[in-house]
Order: sequence, then structure tokens, then C-alpha cells
Amino acid sequence: MKNKGTTMKRIILALLAGTALGAQPLAAQTQSIDPAAVIDTYADIAQAGYADSLSTAKALQAAVATLIANPSEDSLEAAKQAWIAARVPYQQTEAFRFGNAIVDDWEGRVNAWPLDEGLIDYVDPNSAAINEENDYALLNIIANKTVTIGGQSVDTSEITPELLSGTLHEAEGIEANVATGYHAIEFLLWGQDLNGTGPGAGARPYTDYVQGADCTGGNCDRRAAYLQAAADLLVRDLEEMVANWDDDGEARTVLEADPADGVSAILTGMGSLSYGELAGERIKLGLLLHDPEEEHDCFSDMTHLSHYYDGLGIRNVYTGRYTRVDGSTVSGPSLSDLVRAADPEVDTALRGDLESSVAALGAMKEAAEGGMAYDQMLAMGNDQGKELIEGAVSALVTQTRSIERAVAALGAQATVEGSDSLDDPNAVFQ
Amino acid sequence: MRFLPFFLSLTLAGLAALPLRADVPEAVNKVILPDLAAFTQATEGLARTASQGCDAQALKAPWNAAFDAWLKVQHFRMGPFEEGGRGLAIAFWPDPKATGARQMRALLAAQDPQFVTPEGAARLSIAARGLYGLSTLIWQAPQGDYACKLRAALADNLVRMAQAMEDGWRGGFAEQLLDPGADGHTLYLTQDEARQALFTQLIAGLEFNADQRLGRPLGSFDHPRPNRAEAIAEGRSLRNVTLSLRALKTLSDALAQGLGATPQTDAAFAHALQLAGDLDDPVFAGVETPASRLRIEILQQAVRDIRAKATGEIGALLGVSTGFNSADGD
Repeated sequence: MKNKGTTMKRIILALLAGTALGAQPLAAQTQSIDPAAVIDTYADIAQAGYADSLSTAKALQAAVATLIANPSEDSLEAAKQAWIAARVPYQQTEAFRFGNAIVDDWEGRVNAWPLDEGLIDYVDPNSAAINEENDYALLNIIANKTVTIGGQSVDTSEITPELLSGTLHEAEGIEANVATGYHAIEFLLWGQDLNGTGPGAGARPYTDYVQGADCTGGNCDRRAAYLQAAADLLVRDLEEMVANWDDDGEARTVLEADPADGVSAILTGMGSLSYGELAGERIKLGLLLHDPEEEHDCFSDMTHLSHYYDGLGIRNVYTGRYTRVDGSTVSGPSLSDLVRAADPEVDTALRGDLESSVAALGAMKEAAEGGMAYDQMLAMGNDQGKELIEGAVSALVTQTRSIERAVAALGAQATVEGSDSLDDPNAVFQ
Repeated sequence: MRFLPFFLSLTLAGLAALPLRADVPEAVNKVILPDLAAFTQATEGLARTASQGCDAQALKAPWNAAFDAWLKVQHFRMGPFEEGGRGLAIAFWPDPKATGARQMRALLAAQDPQFVTPEGAARLSIAARGLYGLSTLIWQAPQGDYACKLRAALADNLVRMAQAMEDGWRGGFAEQLLDPGADGHTLYLTQDEARQALFTQLIAGLEFNADQRLGRPLGSFDHPRPNRAEAIAEGRSLRNVTLSLRALKTLSDALAQGLGATPQTDAAFAHALQLAGDLDDPVFAGVETPASRLRIEILQQAVRDIRAKATGEIGALLGVSTGFNSADGD
């Protein structure tokens, strides 16, 4: 989620670059599948996924405007539903993040997590919102028209998209200072979840947006301005990413220029998201810590959706098939075809593993929809929750090994490319 | 004496039940298994002292000994390390949201008797357990009967985890690496996969030292973060880097054993260890001062250089590239 600038792995595929390794007896067969066509499908799925993310974000933007104009239980609920709907396509695009620098560099603006929400608005002082490593964890922009950041006084009297993205987001280089994106909006709609690992999500009252005497939480005008600015910014950021995947967009042309590198980007994205990010940092760590702060969508309790659609996204890019929010499909020659030509067994195993992980994440989603929210699964002593979580982790770890085998089948040469940025690396699942 | 290695290998091949290959067996049998046993032993020493009295001071030396032993095996983040998050429960660091401190405070405040039993301690959040949970209880030395019992319970839990990790390796995981693809050995299907698995640990271990142990306190030039160094209270941030690099050198040697020389990697290790040895800054407090900061940055660069050299040189000898590791992603 956070864009840490730690080592970004890129697998280098020698075979497709035209320097086939002698040790790949089946290499010749892959010539029947054109890597360039695989890249086309991949970029088309990305384009469709970001376009769907944009259209659902626009619906969220409109729902937020309605909430602000007419605050009520219903309009708050409608905005929450719009947020949930917007997450479905977006999470599926996470498979594009690792491996495409243009996505990885951008994603912190829209999906940064975890966040110190006290930067944005009021929090319960007895909650875990305090972060000893972040002086701004309780800055509360909504309540303060001037704040001091890095020794400088900052005028926050007007809450604008520029203030959020330019000054506040990742203030002082601390990644927990998340001022923008889905999770900032999530916090402004749901509020803090103060139920620990017990039942219940955040319960922000709609009156937090009522102007005048009935305003709760204080500064309802500024809260409304913040929410609208964050929604506007999300739309703007997604527009930028959709354009990157257009026919002459930068993300697409980079991949087209070197299809071998493009194929490596697909595999890198699949493996890094499956293992270190999803299985590790986002899923297993929370269980080990028994800490609801480790829940990915911790305000809304919609973490199960985030995980499930991540899993679906990984499968999409491998099988070259994406079902859009309108039900239509985007499909074409796939990485799966390419791997099958090189080694059918590896392809079969990986497809099976992807089905298994989608099923395991689906079981988690089903349990959550049946009433056991993700934060409850993390609770100490919840054996059923533990089993669901461990099932998902295990499936993701297994599929990572198959991804590595796919890399080998396609003729991975070596190696890892390091990014030499050394900004303050935060906790990663080690 | 060319005949000697040949003779030896014949003899060993005749004796050993497992196929003889230089690299993976060398690492497993001569490095990993003995070092796991040594770690278990060290934790037993700590637990013995903890069970004998309530003097937190008396635990400092055995805790340090256990941590020294841990640094030799910490980078084998695979199999029994990963099961149930065992490795992280043994040493949960970094902990940027101070989860360990939060959970420990709650634990000491609640004084719930169930958590000072072996079963209860095993259920605690990993952030409150292991070497770091114990470190808080030893260096901050909270008084009272409950804190004393909790020290003993966490030390006992640590022994159990160390033993379980060792047992996991001896009871099957080592075989998976040594005899990949054999009956029931589905984790690694080929020798290359086993090699890749260990090679990945070497590279990831080097990255951990550069990015975390050194990178966290370095922060950025404008915002150095001395408080983010590892094991500050125990005064051993630099010692951890040094011991970890030595252990990774041993692994590097074992992996290359019998396959060829690794002069660039060896030189890079020697250089980094020399820099670490010359650095008189046990907790990297110098990150805030330009001159002393530079020396720590140079050390970090030297560790990254080992990674670069080992990736090329040892990767080529083994014929593999690194796989995905758990630090991929963010």
C-alpha cells in the first residue's frame, strides 16, 4: 500500500528478449504465442480496470456531494455503498502495482494505508490512534485552521485538494500521514472502529455533516470540505491513471516497447502482491498481532472485499480475462497461454493455485458477509477466524511458488533490480 | 592431492542416506542445523535463569546470548520459521506502531493469570512475545510478582518456539531441501528450487540489514531517525548488523562451497565488516550528525554492495535467481 521505495524486484526474462537459454527445451513452442499480444491484453485489462475505478469513483464523488448537501442516515449510507462499490474494480487493479513503476509511484496517493487518522479528524484519545513515531498523528486538520509542520506554520483555513495532496499527504515523509485516497474517505464516512476485535465497524453519525447547531464532532463545514476535496482528488488521480493505459499512454507504451520486460512486469506484480504484500503484510501479520489496527479497511470492516478482489486481480492478469463492473468482459491472449506453451504442467498447477486462492479468499469474504467481520477473525481465541485467514495465506504462498516456476519455465535469467532510494523504510512483514 | 576430495566424496556418498551435493547440504548440515541447536540452547539458558528468580538484571547476559544465537538463524525465513508466524514471534522488529509496547502495557495492567501459563503465553500477540517482549521486561524491569511470572512464561515460550523451529527442520523441512522432488517432498521440486530458496534467504537477509537495521535509523538526511534503531536499550544496534553479516558470510560460503570461488562477494563482506568494526557508534546515534552519519551511510552502501555482488556471483554459481521473499511489496 505504502510506497516505500524499498527494493523493487524485477524478474528479467531472457527468453523473450530473444536470448533463449539453451536449457529451455520447450522454448521454441512459445513462439506460437506472441508476447506482444499478451501485453496488449494485460494493458487492456489495466485500462478497463482503472476506467471502472474511475466511473465508480465518480459515483462516489456524487454520493458524497449529496451527503454534504442533504445529510441523513440514507445519504450517508448511500455514500458508504458507493465507496464499497468503488473498491471492487480498484482492488483488482492492485495486480498492476508491483512491476509497473508508474503505478507503484502513484498508488500511495489513492490507496495508502495504514494511516494515522488523527491527522485528519477527531479520534478517541484512548484508542490506538497514537503513533509514537509520528508527531502529526493527532494533528486534526479539520479542527485546526493553522497547523505547524516541520517547524513551518501552514494555513489550513481552506481545505482544498492541493492542500491535501501537496502539503499534508505523507507530511514530513511519514507514510502514516495519509491525507488522501480511499482510506481517508473511508475514515470520513465510517469513523473510527472502536470495537476492537469485537463486532461492529466505525459508527460516524451523519450529523457530523450537518451544518449549524446540530453539527456533531465540531467543524462540520470543514469536515464536509475535506470529504469533498478528497473525493475530487481521487477522481482526478484515477483520470491520470486511466490515461496512462490509453493507446499512447506511458504505462502501456513502456510495456509495448519491450514485451519481455512487460511479461516480467506481469509476473513480478503477481508474485509480489501474492506473497510479501497480501499473504504477509496485509493478512498474516494482523492475525499474529491480534491487532485490529492491522485490518486493511479498518473503518468500514470491508477488508474481506479488499483481499478477495486482490486475489481476483492476480487471477485476471494471468488468465487474461477481466469482468467489468457492467458485466462485460475484456479478454485476449494471456500469460497463461505463454506459460502453457513453455510448460503445460506449470500452467495447470498455477491455474489451480489461483483458483484455490480465490476460493480461500472467497470463504473469508463469505464468513465476513455472514457476520464475522475481518477484525473479529483476528481476535485471540477465534479458531474459526484463524483457520480462514491461515487458509488464505497458505493458498497465496503456494501460488507464489507456482509463479516462481512460471518464471523459470519462461526462462528467467537473473535477477533483482534494486531501487536505490533509501527513504525511511517502515515495517514490512519480514 | 587431487585424489583426496574424490576419495572423501565417495566415502561420504556411501555413508550418507541423502544425495550429496555441495551447496544445499553444506548449508543445511553444517550451518543451519547446528546454529538452530545453539539457539535452542541459548534460550534454555535464559529460561533457566528466569525460572530461578525475579532479578531482571540477571537476565541481561543470557538474553544477549540468546540474541547473539538468534542472529545466526534469523535470516532463514522459510518453513518452520513461517509456520504460525514463529520467526516473527521470536523477534518482532521493526514495530513502527509500537504494538509491542501497547500490548505489553495492557498485559501488565490486566495481570490476567492465564497469560503466564505455557498455553496462555503462546496465544499472546507476537508483538508482546519473544526476544523483544522479554527485552521490555528485562530492561524496563517492571516490578512485581506478575512481571516476574511473565518473564518466566515468555522465556519458556521462547524455548518452545526455538525447539519447535529446530524440530521442524530436523523432522522434515531439511529433507525437503536436501532431497527435493522425492516422495512426499513437494515443497521444492528440483535442486534448483532448493538452491533458489536458500539463495533468496541470503539476499533477503542482506536487504534486511541495509533497509531495516541501517535504513530505519538513517531515515532521510533531513529527518534522521535515531530512535528507530534496533535494540537501543540493549545497546546493540551495530552488534546486530555485525553478527548478522558474519552469519550471512557463513551462509554465502556454504552455498558456494564446491562450486567455485566468490572473490567479489568475499571482498564485499570483508569491506563491510571492516567498516562495521571501525564504527564506534553502538546504537547509530550518529545518524543526526553529518560526519558520523556519512560513516553509517557508507556501511549501508557496503551492505548493498554485498547484495549486488552475491546476486551476480553466487547466483551464477548456483544457476538460479532469487525468488520472491516476504519483504517484496511495500
